[in-house]
Amino acid sequence: MTDEQGTSGAILVVGGGISGLTAALEAAEVGNDVFLVEKNAYFGGRVAQLNQYFPKLCPPSCGLEINFKRIKDNRSIRTYTMTSVKAVSGGPGNYEVTLETAPRYVNSNCTACGDCAEACPDEIDNEFNFGMNKSKAAYLPHEMAFPRRYVINKDALSEDGAAAVKSSCKYNAVDLDMQVDTKTINVASIIWATGWTPYDPTKMDNLKYGQSPAIVTNMMIERMAAPGGPTDGAILRPGDNKEPESFAFVQCAGSRDENHLEFCSYICCMATFKQMTYIRERYPEAKIYVFYIDLRTPGKYEKFREKLMDDANSTFIKGKVAEIIPESDGSVTVVAENAVTGQKIKQTVDMAVLATGMQPSLAAEAASVSLDMDPSGFVVSNPESGVLSAGCACRAADVVTSNQSATAAALKAIQVSRR
Amino acid sequence: MNVQPDLDFIKYLKTAGGDTMKKCYQCATCSVVCPLSTDDKPFPRKEMIWSQWGMKDKLVADADVFLCHQCGDCTAYCPRGAKPGDVLGAIRSYAYTFYGWPTGLAKLASSAKGLPMLIAIPAVVIFVFWLISGGMAIPSVEEFSKYGYQRFFGHWDFHWLSKNVAFIDIFMLAAFGLAVVSSYKGVTTMWKKMAENEGVNPDYKPSLVQMAQQFVWPSIIEIVLHSRFKECKTNIDRVTGHLPLMLAFVGLFIVTVWSAFANDVLGLWIPSLHGPMSVWNPVKILANVSAVAMIVGVGILWINRAKAEAEGGVTPTFFDWFLIWEIMAVGVSGLLAEVLRWAGLAAPGYIIYYIHLVTVMMLFMYLPYTKLAHLVYRTTAYTFEKYRESSFSKNPLDE
Repeated sequence: MTDEQGTSGAILVVGGGISGLTAALEAAEVGNDVFLVEKNAYFGGRVAQLNQYFPKLCPPSCGLEINFKRIKDNRSIRTYTMTSVKAVSGGPGNYEVTLETAPRYVNSNCTACGDCAEACPDEIDNEFNFGMNKSKAAYLPHEMAFPRRYVINKDALSEDGAAAVKSSCKYNAVDLDMQVDTKTINVASIIWATGWTPYDPTKMDNLKYGQSPAIVTNMMIERMAAPGGPTDGAILRPGDNKEPESFAFVQCAGSRDENHLEFCSYICCMATFKQMTYIRERYPEAKIYVFYIDLRTPGKYEKFREKLMDDANSTFIKGKVAEIIPESDGSVTVVAENAVTGQKIKQTVDMAVLATGMQPSLAAEAASVSLDMDPSGFVVSNPESGVLSAGCACRAADVVTSNQSATAAALKAIQVSRR
Repeated sequence: MNVQPDLDFIKYLKTAGGDTMKKCYQCATCSVVCPLSTDDKPFPRKEMIWSQWGMKDKLVADADVFLCHQCGDCTAYCPRGAKPGDVLGAIRSYAYTFYGWPTGLAKLASSAKGLPMLIAIPAVVIFVFWLISGGMAIPSVEEFSKYGYQRFFGHWDFHWLSKNVAFIDIFMLAAFGLAVVSSYKGVTTMWKKMAENEGVNPDYKPSLVQMAQQFVWPSIIEIVLHSRFKECKTNIDRVTGHLPLMLAFVGLFIVTVWSAFANDVLGLWIPSLHGPMSVWNPVKILANVSAVAMIVGVGILWINRAKAEAEGGVTPTFFDWFLIWEIMAVGVSGLLAEVLRWAGLAAPGYIIYYIHLVTVMMLFMYLPYTKLAHLVYRTTAYTFEKYRESSFSKNPLDE
């Protein structure tokens, strides 16, 4: 049934985050052939960057590891990292898709021993940690990376670096002559699970991101709190590594805003409550101020919200922060109007956390193929054409909802493949 | 709180530029980005919800509505496109009608439907006066070059008051008098409402001198210097238009007062003061410079507004455009009349002069109801703001 180019009943899943993994597994486990392509060098997407999931506060390895194992054990799924979709032609039931794989410069001989990184003299910004630390130009994207194989950033490699990296590998896994690889596959349907990108905080000029190290994003807090993160789990102010005594959470930083993301990003309220637990674990006495328009914690999340709103050292202010002033002592002052009292509040804190929203990745980078998108850049699922979307490519959602939509997309994709 | 929404008020705001107000979700971004909003009494967030709820009484008694200069910073940063700047403009336009007296005339001046009537009233009045004055003739070239428009309403030999001045005074002073009475009534009513709304202690009243020294004069200085207007960021271009325009009005006011004094008082003893002034007369120079400044200023405002509307940031309203048209008409007709006099073209000159009289009368008569009313109401609000922060408005026992 299977040949090199795939079968007419195969399904392509674009994006290997939690939604893509789920969609791929659901489709493969009922017998469909699946191509799972991922742009990054690793699977797991945004979830892999989190410290904990809400509301149970378990680490991401919890959901990802089991999925990685299922993928390894499933012969129907073929996985491609560092791969993106270049072109799509044909129609439902018979799409021809061109995939392009960027060179990893490390072949399958790699055992992830780490000798190349050890030997490499060149450093790059650690993208996985939002540039908060450096990694070697020959690196494992993160501790739990799957596939567990090193990557080389050839552009950042000096001549000496190239020689050092090459000679350090005793398995002959470094191949700096690797080229871009293009291949064409035939599939019946395509599931776009391309996920989200944190909205660029520099676009909110009044929030002054980048003008003070005390202004960070919620995703940066996730990395700081994570055990394998740039600070090994300590939440410190970037720059001077001060232990903050006070925090301000700036909700809806870019979300529910016509000038930025006009939709509600759904997860930021819960993410803030979750991050309050990170802060409490580390700083039981720290003052926390949460500035919000509305607190949106639907369904069972209400309990989580209620618990954290009981925190004696936390203040909740209904009013959006519309200005942040960097202070000379490294702190920042956030300005809002308390809409309940009608007074302006100027609160100086050691750290301001922007609860930035999710921008659909395809809107942030412009898709290479034309897709039916809504004005915000979410892909419209169309079972008739066999082009489907799942997770945050479809709409802003938490992990649970993303998995539900991934399962739904898998079912529709299977139906197209058997039409 | 028991809120009884005034639906007609809401409907009015929606037609006067506030059509976006229901989009507001009270995030209060506007109050923070507003460069004029204060820490104790931020606006325009509270005005937005009062508008949505139709709380007319609170809004017409709210000084903050008049402290807004429509910088547009709130509108630029508003995440919902609710355009708070435009909504506050709509509230002001409502307030001018609300405080306007007589009510019928105020209502007439509030919408485009009234425009034909608004033009017709002074047009007919002045035409009728022209007819009954008996001056109804186009002068010869010699007469025109000698007297200009000074015999528009004819001539008599009564030494103490020329016929022309008598006729102009009748309708212009009547129009101006109406505006003064109406403004006075409006401003005093507004002051009372604002004081009640703020819960100002009525026991400590400043004397007239204190009032003038401590509250009115500093406000006028601030207004003339455009100190607050210059805080605007998004629509800072409007200052470039408004400042010359305001100075033009000041200049023309001086010219008018001097002309009246020279013609009607000094002229009784020094006959040479009658007749058109030389172009090099300092007063004439001021008049001409002011006229040009007026046209340039209002022209800049015209272009800015058209641009802002084209870019979608501002909703076009009759309230805003009427004043721009009116001032442009005054400036252009005045300057044109002067040019035609130099050219010695009597017939077209008389027609343009007639139009000029009509537009000037409109400007005077409708002052308290049109956007020009900000002259009195905003000055009052500035004054009130200083007053409410002073020790006069506070009960010392509460401190």
